[in-house]
Amino acid sequence: MSEEKQDKPLESMERRLFLQRTSLLSGLLALGGGSYLLKPKDGWAAAPIKVGIATDLTGPIGYAGVPNANIAKLVIEEINASGGLIGRPIQLIIEDTATNEQLAVTRVRKLVQRDKVDVVFGGITSSMRNAIKDTIVNRGKTLYIYPQLYEGLECTKYLYCTGPTPAQQCDTFIPWLIKNGGKKFYLPSADYVWPHVLNKYARKVIEKHGGEVIGEEYFPVDHNEYSAVVNKILSSGVNVVFNTTIPPGTPVFFKQLYEAGFQKKGGRLACVYYDENTLNITPANEIEGLASCLDYFKAVNDPFGNALYDKFAKQFGTKNPLAAGSAVTGMWRGLNLWAEAVKKANSVKRDDVAKALETAKLEDGPGGPSEIVPGTQHTAMHMYIAVAKAGKYEIVERSPGLVQPGECV
Amino acid sequence: MILGIRNAKEARCQGELRDPMSFVPFLFDVLAYSAIFVLVVLGLGVIASMMGIFNFAHGEFVLLGAYTVYVLQQTGVPSWVGMITAPFAVAMVGLLLERLAIQRFYATPIVAMLGTYAIAMALREAVRALLGGRFYNVDAPLVGAFVLGELSISKWRTVIIIITVIVMVLSWLLLTRTKFGLQVRASLENPALARASGISTSRVYAATFTFGAALAGLAGGLMVPIYSISADMGVPFLIKSFLAVMLGGVGSFEGSIVGAALVGATSAALPWAIKPVVADLLVFVIAIVIVKFRPQGLLSLGRR
Repeated sequence: MSEEKQDKPLESMERRLFLQRTSLLSGLLALGGGSYLLKPKDGWAAAPIKVGIATDLTGPIGYAGVPNANIAKLVIEEINASGGLIGRPIQLIIEDTATNEQLAVTRVRKLVQRDKVDVVFGGITSSMRNAIKDTIVNRGKTLYIYPQLYEGLECTKYLYCTGPTPAQQCDTFIPWLIKNGGKKFYLPSADYVWPHVLNKYARKVIEKHGGEVIGEEYFPVDHNEYSAVVNKILSSGVNVVFNTTIPPGTPVFFKQLYEAGFQKKGGRLACVYYDENTLNITPANEIEGLASCLDYFKAVNDPFGNALYDKFAKQFGTKNPLAAGSAVTGMWRGLNLWAEAVKKANSVKRDDVAKALETAKLEDGPGGPSEIVPGTQHTAMHMYIAVAKAGKYEIVERSPGLVQPGECV
Repeated sequence: MILGIRNAKEARCQGELRDPMSFVPFLFDVLAYSAIFVLVVLGLGVIASMMGIFNFAHGEFVLLGAYTVYVLQQTGVPSWVGMITAPFAVAMVGLLLERLAIQRFYATPIVAMLGTYAIAMALREAVRALLGGRFYNVDAPLVGAFVLGELSISKWRTVIIIITVIVMVLSWLLLTRTKFGLQVRASLENPALARASGISTSRVYAATFTFGAALAGLAGGLMVPIYSISADMGVPFLIKSFLAVMLGGVGSFEGSIVGAALVGATSAALPWAIKPVVADLLVFVIAIVIVKFRPQGLLSLGRR
């Protein structure tokens, strides 16, 4: 636009403004943002064990990061209230990775180098895990525990995964889908690592059980128009849509699929990250019959899970509830498995804890017991298949026992 | 061989465009997506072409419109009331921001981009905090689809197409056939002369910005049943909206509409033929090629 619209401010004025602004900015920088320290209450003789949480409190993944940090607070408070670990209190240091991998590396480096934490928990997306794992495990020589369901294939030493793997999410789920949907699958997906690797696994299981993959299609992660794929699905007689698109695309896709009459014609929708958080993304009738497979649903209705759910809701509200799809149950499991290992090892040294973790077991938890499978750094847990009915989940199948992660064997 | 085909069955799917049963939904979806796009770009186009400001907070104005509908629905108000309220609510926010911040940027378009970008982040993160970062659905006043035999046509998308046409015509009439429109165009072409002729350009700019914000609010309100509300709702539209304005020609209001229709139509149509990931890229390539040959934009003659 033309310059004459407003007179230029005087030179000296500009300099003063510049000085004001730089001092404000440097002040803000000095204060630092996104770091939270939760000290245990006074009265401890021993120095605290430091637990670092690096998770996305802000940005698009914030919906999962916030309850991840909350469950950590809850678990650590419980441990401190019951006398701490090996006679020492736990100090929690939470860093906001802000759904930004570059920033996360700096924040995580602060955790391992400056705070010298004894263990790091966190990361939600696979890209985040890949970005921060080297800083923690190799350069930082620190133990790392990753809580989210993911695509598998992560066998880095000293990195433990406490969320479900493709084997846990697909091995019983896909045969169930074939039985309760049909043999023709379509795999619409967001174009990033998790759907690509998960689909490869899912395709194998589908074909092994006599099903066939009619199409596997990748969309940009923020894609928001799905008429072409909906038309392909409808015109090729697909029985099961195994969805790995992610929001913001998912609600548009599900709505277009519903409006085209996919469910009315007997189609089955499946999505393995769908939990209580995601139920409200679309009107209930548009995802009626959607099937998911996770390590915990509120509908599992186990006494342990119910008690934890209520305690969590009481302390932090229900805006971001205890849910498996946002890694909250994985974080709970990780923290408690680690605490067990520390007790057993009577040490917080990385090698001692890692050795003890190999045989760490939890008698109970949200969704049931769990244990680390020795030599694999992955966790065996109970799995549940749930179907959405009128805006709620109904559990249709429970695993008879622990389901093996099938990774790094 | 067409890109992205894995086996013979998929090839059959791709070939079905010739079938009338899929040609009608194809046409409808391209039309509906173009309409949504035009609706989003309208407000951006008005501000960009009339004031020379690229408003990076436009996506967040759309978000605020959607949020208005969501909040009102939470209190039990039907969503159509929210949709009528949304443009007014967002207009108020737009006016406030224009008076507080935007008006200081008119002389420096680059600073304006950064400034509006900052406003965008603040608005987006505020809504994210309010929503707990989650997605929520908002009911459309009309749900479901018209079913004609094998065909099903989304009712709400049909409504959006109709409203877009109405809003487009009304905006055009406002800018070309009214005294206000004349003042706006005068302030655009020669601010000094406009001021000399007794037009308060600062007030005209405030009104234009408010009008653009109101259009964004309307777009957000109408779109939210399709996209569900989330803090990042406006983000995917922003870059392509700028592409549309650039394609159409920055100086003209009609240009932005043509650009938007074109970008919307190609974005919706290309995935029917090729891999969506490639299609997404191709939209930009096509636009850049067009701009290469018509750097002044498609409708450069406009009113400049």
